[in-house]
Amino acid sequence: MTPKERENLIKKAWILITYVVLITFALVYLTPFIRSIIASFMNWAQASRYPPEWIPNPFTLENYEKLFRLELFPRWIRNTALYAGLIIAGNILFSTMAGYAFARLRFPGRDAIFSALLSLMMIPMFVTLVPNYIIIYKLGLIDNIFGLALLGLTNVSSIFLMRQYFMSLSNEIFEAARLDGCGPIKSFFFIALPLARPALGAVAVYQFLGSWNAFIGPLIFLRSPENFTLPVGLSFAFQRAMWVEYTPIIAGSIVASAPTIILFLLLNKYLIRGIVITGGKG
Amino acid sequence: MPLFKSFSSFYEKSKNKEIVAGLSLISIAVLLNLVFGYFAMIFAFYLSFFKWDYIGEMQFVGLKNFAIVLRDLSRGLHGSYYLIAPFYTGLKNILIYTAIVVPVQTFLAIVLASFANQKIKGQQFFKVSYFLPATTSSVIISLIFIWLFMKNGFINYVFDLTVPGFQPIDWLNDKRYILLAISMVAIWGTSGHFMVSFLAAMQAIPKELYEAAMLDGAGPIRRFFFITIPMLRPMIVYVVVMGLIGALQMFDLAWVMAGASGGPGGAGYTVALDIYNEAFTRIRPGVAAAKSWFLFAIIFTTTYIFQKKYGRALR
Repeated sequence: MTPKERENLIKKAWILITYVVLITFALVYLTPFIRSIIASFMNWAQASRYPPEWIPNPFTLENYEKLFRLELFPRWIRNTALYAGLIIAGNILFSTMAGYAFARLRFPGRDAIFSALLSLMMIPMFVTLVPNYIIIYKLGLIDNIFGLALLGLTNVSSIFLMRQYFMSLSNEIFEAARLDGCGPIKSFFFIALPLARPALGAVAVYQFLGSWNAFIGPLIFLRSPENFTLPVGLSFAFQRAMWVEYTPIIAGSIVASAPTIILFLLLNKYLIRGIVITGGKG
Repeated sequence: MPLFKSFSSFYEKSKNKEIVAGLSLISIAVLLNLVFGYFAMIFAFYLSFFKWDYIGEMQFVGLKNFAIVLRDLSRGLHGSYYLIAPFYTGLKNILIYTAIVVPVQTFLAIVLASFANQKIKGQQFFKVSYFLPATTSSVIISLIFIWLFMKNGFINYVFDLTVPGFQPIDWLNDKRYILLAISMVAIWGTSGHFMVSFLAAMQAIPKELYEAAMLDGAGPIRRFFFITIPMLRPMIVYVVVMGLIGALQMFDLAWVMAGASGGPGGAGYTVALDIYNEAFTRIRPGVAAAKSWFLFAIIFTTTYIFQKKYGRALR
């Protein structure tokens, strides 16, 4: 064998190893999802059989029917959507306003206030959890989606993201607007906001993922089952053993995670890039 | 909207519009963060010196709440039953959990990233599949894994196929295995997320370094240890710090998979669960506040020491 052939062989072997490793791990990460989707169409007797079966027989929609027969389930979907909507709207509005001001306007104490906000990110949520419960309780907003949403209307990481974006815009267009007599608030609404669409999209998507999946906040601030969000509701349904079988819980998990998974599959290119830039969760 | 009108006339008349605009645009965000961030923090500090039941009078008790935590720790160290020393139990578990999860997920993320960081077809497919768990709610993931971890469940089946002489384990009902099971789920759920961070950092490493090393005859393994790892150091520190912050506060997985009381023998109990129980089951918000300051101190010191030793976390 010539050295050239040897080198080629090593290269090929290496590519083979690469694919074996990558495909093995793709299976590790995907199988739980695939297995749950399949099992959601099985009856519990089949889904719990050992060794596991892969083809629903009989194919049944019974689990989804059971789920939606529970009056609470559609309410949980609505509550989660309402909560996510409020959080997205709040962040789009307030975090964008603040991000613009921190990036493009000069006013006394600007940098000090911004670093004061940033240092809040170091505080674990468990420190402020009990006091915030008491504040919301005193406001009479416990067991209320709006009370819960109040805590998340702005978010330091959204402010940070928007500030970075507005700082990256060129100065010229703002300067031109200023010379035309456009004040700072006008130029926020008519120049900054329309230019910020990609960043607004990113904030909206991250806040959607965060609020749709949120658990500890809704768990503490919501008290009665009809006000629960999907994660709290499903863990409640599981702990109260609402169904004898486990398959409705699996079907519920599929329904509850479908929006985030579909959104991720649609936007994966942007999301993966964006998460690298902002450092991901929270 | 008289309020809006009076604001807009004030704004139009003001001498320096930029200052007025700046302060008003940040006002809502600052106000909310002031109340739910800074005020809450000060309140948490204040609360840790009081005994209270949310309704009656607050009663000043000095350092008694902190003494309760310390007594709990000393009881635990002397081998008390787990229910008598809940904070110790939670702390012990969370330290074991962190010691498993953070190194494994960081290592796995680097390895996967370096395999994926080659000219191969389907790179995006692999990235998407590894990342998928990170976009799914931890509660949903836990619910699915409860089923997969059942004694006649899928995970035992996979181990049975791959590990010779494997005996099926009742993962979530056996106090020897529950924490390991939770750790496995956590690693599964977060390593793909960090893999993407590493992949981005790797793509920023200059190609010339690898070419020079190849000319010197360094194989892929040597190149990995002598170029990739050192060049990734700031990202490794960042991922470890983020991992520590997340792992030490672990709540969702334990709550669903082990239950609020920590499952069999309290083997799935965590500090975060204990703070929750202190505040909302035992109704001792003062003790909960004291415990949350302990948790803060633990997170702060571990991340501080780590960054002191290996350099600051940089993205």
